Amino acid sequence: MPDFGATGWGRAWVRAVESTAVTTPNPLLPKARSLARNDAVTTVDIAPGRLTAEVVDRGRHHRVTIDIPLWTGQVRLVADRLVARSLAEHRGLAPGDLPDALAADLASHGIDIAVPTDAQTATCTCASRRRPCSHVLATHYALAQRVDEQPALALTLRAPRRTGHRQGDPDWIDLREVDAAAFYGG
Amino acid sequence: MPWPDRLQATFVPAEHAVAFWGPLDLVHAHDLPEGRPGTCRFALPADGRVEPVDVPVRLVDLDTAVPALRALPARSAALGASVLAWRAAARLAEDGDPGELAARLPPAAHAVLNAEETAIMSARAALTRFHQAVATASALRATGLRATPRPYQVRGIAWLRALAAEGGGGVLADDMGLGKTLQAIGLLATRRHPDQRPHLVVCPTSLVGNWLREIQRFAPDTPVIGYHGARRALPEHVAAGTVVVTSYSVLRTDQALRQQHWDTAVFDEAQQLKNPDAQVSRAAAGLTAHARIAMTGTPVENRLTELWSILHVTNPGVLGSRARFRQRFAGPIEQRRSATAAARLNALVGPHLLRRTKSEVAADLPAKQHTTVACTLTAEQARLYTDAVDRAFATGLGSGIARRGRVLALLTALKQICNHPAQYLGENGENGENGERELVGRSGKFDRAVEMLAEIADQGDRALVFTQYRAMGELLCRQLTDTLGGDPVPFLHGGLSLARRDRLVHAFQTDDTAPPVLLLSLRAAGFGLNLTRASHVVHYDRWWNPAVEEQATDRAHRIGQQRTLTVHTLVTGGTIEDHIARLHQTKRALADVVSRDAEAALADLSDADLHSVLELNPGAIA
Repeated sequence: MPDFGATGWGRAWVRAVESTAVTTPNPLLPKARSLARNDAVTTVDIAPGRLTAEVVDRGRHHRVTIDIPLWTGQVRLVADRLVARSLAEHRGLAPGDLPDALAADLASHGIDIAVPTDAQTATCTCASRRRPCSHVLATHYALAQRVDEQPALALTLRAPRRTGHRQGDPDWIDLREVDAAAFYGG
Repeated sequence: MPWPDRLQATFVPAEHAVAFWGPLDLVHAHDLPEGRPGTCRFALPADGRVEPVDVPVRLVDLDTAVPALRALPARSAALGASVLAWRAAARLAEDGDPGELAARLPPAAHAVLNAEETAIMSARAALTRFHQAVATASALRATGLRATPRPYQVRGIAWLRALAAEGGGGVLADDMGLGKTLQAIGLLATRRHPDQRPHLVVCPTSLVGNWLREIQRFAPDTPVIGYHGARRALPEHVAAGTVVVTSYSVLRTDQALRQQHWDTAVFDEAQQLKNPDAQVSRAAAGLTAHARIAMTGTPVENRLTELWSILHVTNPGVLGSRARFRQRFAGPIEQRRSATAAARLNALVGPHLLRRTKSEVAADLPAKQHTTVACTLTAEQARLYTDAVDRAFATGLGSGIARRGRVLALLTALKQICNHPAQYLGENGENGENGERELVGRSGKFDRAVEMLAEIADQGDRALVFTQYRAMGELLCRQLTDTLGGDPVPFLHGGLSLARRDRLVHAFQTDDTAPPVLLLSLRAAGFGLNLTRASHVVHYDRWWNPAVEEQATDRAHRIGQQRTLTVHTLVTGGTIEDHIARLHQTKRALADVVSRDAEAALADLSDADLHSVLELNPGAIA
């Protein structure tokens, strides 16, 4: 099984960095893969339209921020319809998963799950002049791994769901949400 | 931290008790039961936030807490809102709508932390569990269970009953020795109504008799039928609530089991279902049952797909298809130790799996102490070791399946050399004219083990010694019989009949004149053995998977054991055994359910990396 892109959803992100349109392979890619493989990419945070991560390279910490455009307008409408249809067809889906067939379906409608690096705004706190730097590329590989583990994250990034998204476990309340003032009641 | 000036109460499901805390002197003022003193981890307010802290409490078991809470006055300046809320809950008892009450429960009443200490139980969850616990305790009383389950066992039975009521399934994965069987019997005995279907228990053949006995002993009112052997037969109509006990080998092919509709199906030692392609796993998944419970102390022995396979029987679909499970979880966790995938898997499995370790639940269980005994190589061992490594790499290890085979053979050779040159060289003790060749002085580990065991025997203590090799067991047997004097030291291995093994175990447990050391082959000492008389366990050689060693250790460390158990692990420094010891450390550090095929991982390394793992560390020679 490949380290990156085991599912159709993660594979889309791997393809975005290893773009086949480019004739000469990016020489930074092996290093980026190695960073991701060796857990150098930590605290990956995946929010609607934004990916942030910290990358540790030779003892130095670099902060990576990648802005990714959300699906809008007609694209969003079509995507929502395809997603809804697919979820209705796969009722027994395990939490966090999405069918690979949906990824293919989106692609065949011309809707990109991933965004090629030249269509993103990426920043990194390193001093390298090569852009995107190896840390930004490594963050993409780490993203592909996270998405493989939890395909639903691919949608979080491009099309945040307003409803039907189960938040947390109803049996437990996050400590940050406990009202300290009302702790002992009236 | 502002300490409350009124008495507080928090329901602690794991203790099957209400914890009273705050100004504890008020317990007396209100005629509340004394309970037992303890410390709980709760979240309490501090500086406008809530934080985990240790809180001194008095734990009152539900059986006494419920009537005491009911008897409290409806209003009192000394009683906090949390106490009054639990009073209301106790008055609602088993029926009534907890929904309205949930709004009245202040956080103090449900301040129990999760394992990660990042969240507290919700009011509704606390109330639901409270009512389940109260209902379970009274159901157990009504069925006349002839045992007093410990608080965590009542919690386990309540959990199982909630699953069964929903018609779901789950895995009871408590540590070995915590009484999973009793909890399952508690479930089956309390699910018995005239309109209910019979229950099915599937277990290894060797445990069928044990199950029948235990059900008759603990739940004598529950009808039970043993369904095994060639002349087995089910009655035309199996009465409601009857427990049918059968074996995995019968389940594999039996038609009658498949045609019957069951209420609850229990799969004991569910590792038997770890291979999803096996006929027995397919037969288990094909049974028609309202609820399905798997019991195992080791839900994952080697590969994560084992967990998938067991949950495929109890909770089909919850982990997705097998191929998808490999992509999302097994691959990321086993290949690259993904912490995020492990955390997600734990979260997904969590609601369907109840696992308590001994250290969590059995405060009265004597402690288990681990010691690592570092050993050195003799010159003879060092020479054999270096030769074996050099020869293997000079010949070449190849690739693919052939590589795996050669790496495995090399690993086995190195482990044997660490054990004793005589094991590696296949010396059977009848060495030509000189008779038996002396065993002492040729293996640092062997000498150390014999010294230690002689010392243990001198102290009047008893020890179990585990090895994975029959030949090594024979060598130890020979030497220990010689050193300790008296009767030959017994060796329990797979070649002995069941009756013979039973006699060895019985003698070790009860006979004062029996040798104080029992040698066991790690694999033959599977389940069902109870060797609590030992106060020392020695692991002579290392198993790749720590779970297997712990299962062996637990032969001695069970409820009923009175003394502290010391577990000695022998490790030859600078060798493959050192590598295994490090591997065990990282495995324990990883999430509970996560394991990995270590030998395959070594075979996947490049020659250079593998050589650096296996070559003899020069500091190791005596």
